Amino acid sequence: MNVTRRRFLKICATGLGSSSVVALGFPVTKAQAEVRAFKLARSSETRNTCPYCSVSCGLIMHSLGDRAKNAESSIFHIEGDPDHPVNRGTLCPKGAGLVDFIHSPNRLKYPEYRAAGSDRWQRISWDEAFARVARWMKDDRDRNFLAKNAAGATVNRWLTTGFLAASASSNEAGYLTHKVIRNLGVLAFDNQARV
Amino acid sequence: MNSGNNIKTPGELTPPSASIKPLLRPGRDIFAQRAARLRRLSRESSLGSYLAFLALLSDAQQHALDRFPPLPSRSIDPVFAPGGPPLAAASWGRDGAWRAGLTAILDELSQGGVPREVRDTVADLRASTENRLERLADQVLAGNLEGVAPGELPFIAAALQVYWVQMAVGLDEPDGNRLSPSGVCPVCGSPPVAGVVHASGSEQGLRYLCCSLCASQWHLVRLTCSACDATQGVDYYTLEGSDGAVKAEGCDSCGSYLKLFYLEKDGQMEPMADDLATLALDMLLEREGKASSGCNPFFHPGEVATTPI
Repeated sequence: MNVTRRRFLKICATGLGSSSVVALGFPVTKAQAEVRAFKLARSSETRNTCPYCSVSCGLIMHSLGDRAKNAESSIFHIEGDPDHPVNRGTLCPKGAGLVDFIHSPNRLKYPEYRAAGSDRWQRISWDEAFARVARWMKDDRDRNFLAKNAAGATVNRWLTTGFLAASASSNEAGYLTHKVIRNLGVLAFDNQARV
Repeated sequence: MNSGNNIKTPGELTPPSASIKPLLRPGRDIFAQRAARLRRLSRESSLGSYLAFLALLSDAQQHALDRFPPLPSRSIDPVFAPGGPPLAAASWGRDGAWRAGLTAILDELSQGGVPREVRDTVADLRASTENRLERLADQVLAGNLEGVAPGELPFIAAALQVYWVQMAVGLDEPDGNRLSPSGVCPVCGSPPVAGVVHASGSEQGLRYLCCSLCASQWHLVRLTCSACDATQGVDYYTLEGSDGAVKAEGCDSCGSYLKLFYLEKDGQMEPMADDLATLALDMLLEREGKASSGCNPFFHPGEVATTPI
């Protein structure tokens, strides 16, 4: 059925002076004056997925600010998404603490590296991090990749490296992870595509 | 082991339901609850004396509902709009009992310490012909505010609410039909007053829209504009420094807003009453160029300024 929608109404366009309140003999001066004391604050509610585990609970994140490109928005509250079919608004204790995870002073925000024998972490660039990880993977795979087993059957496996991918990944990310990591011969890996 | 532990046994907590109830029916004490809330708000609101008057009006509605005569049973199979709301406000053939309810409400409000303007309006309505009252009802139910005087709207709407609540409470159809857009009542097709985000039981955290006529509540997924179903560009407005119990959900796509009451912050809130206690939010949003997609039949703005959809 096609419902004809009403128009949107400007409730206070005429400053309440000709409203029902006045027509029935009640004062509006206080209400008219009161509004000068108030300012409007704007916030956002945004859907997201909990990053902790493969259950992938739905979240609603509350943040201040109006999503303008040049303004940093600040998340002040996270609740379970009551409309989400997986968790219907519930969260486990870890998920319920997510807002502290976001604002934690110990939160890892960029790659860090601790050299063998060193007692401290140093910040490195993403390019450096990727290059180092790729180098270690290549070296380890070259040393330990098994094309055939003892019986001579082709196995193409690489058992000395494991891989753990994010839980809040989309199907597409899960597919790519599977293709890339399986193609290398890695057997020990887990990601959201399992669920 | 400590025998006095606080471990819950199964059944003590209401788990979230696997299926969301699409519709919540009004209780038969809806007007008494509204009156209590209006009375409480009247003590601190800047529109206090008006809210105190509306508390009397709501009391009168409750008394009219309590004494409402049994209605002849009608099959709810709308000829006018198959698949539409079963009690469609726009096309329902009204029983004259609604006018009896109006008379009872007017009788109750003609006594006591009400302003002269109220007594005059009540006297005018009591002297009105059946034809005039039916015409006014048609205008109110069509949302045509130009066709009804600001002083008369609350009384006509109050009587129509009593009639529709009486029917909605007794409706045996389980769900009503889901309409598109989602912002009209699936029971009677009327616009919402506001939305509530529930705080307890299996409805915890879910948003329901509250019908301005029959007081049914229907579920709508949160973070969705109730007027145009947009999910992008939906923002939330509050009075700066408030605790976030009352927010206006504003939509960039259609330029409308609707108030939401978060019962977790204040479980006493009631949509009709608290909507009128938060007019400052409406005034500020109008300065931002937004217009309300809600409708509160206890408040006629006087001149009708609208934006087309």
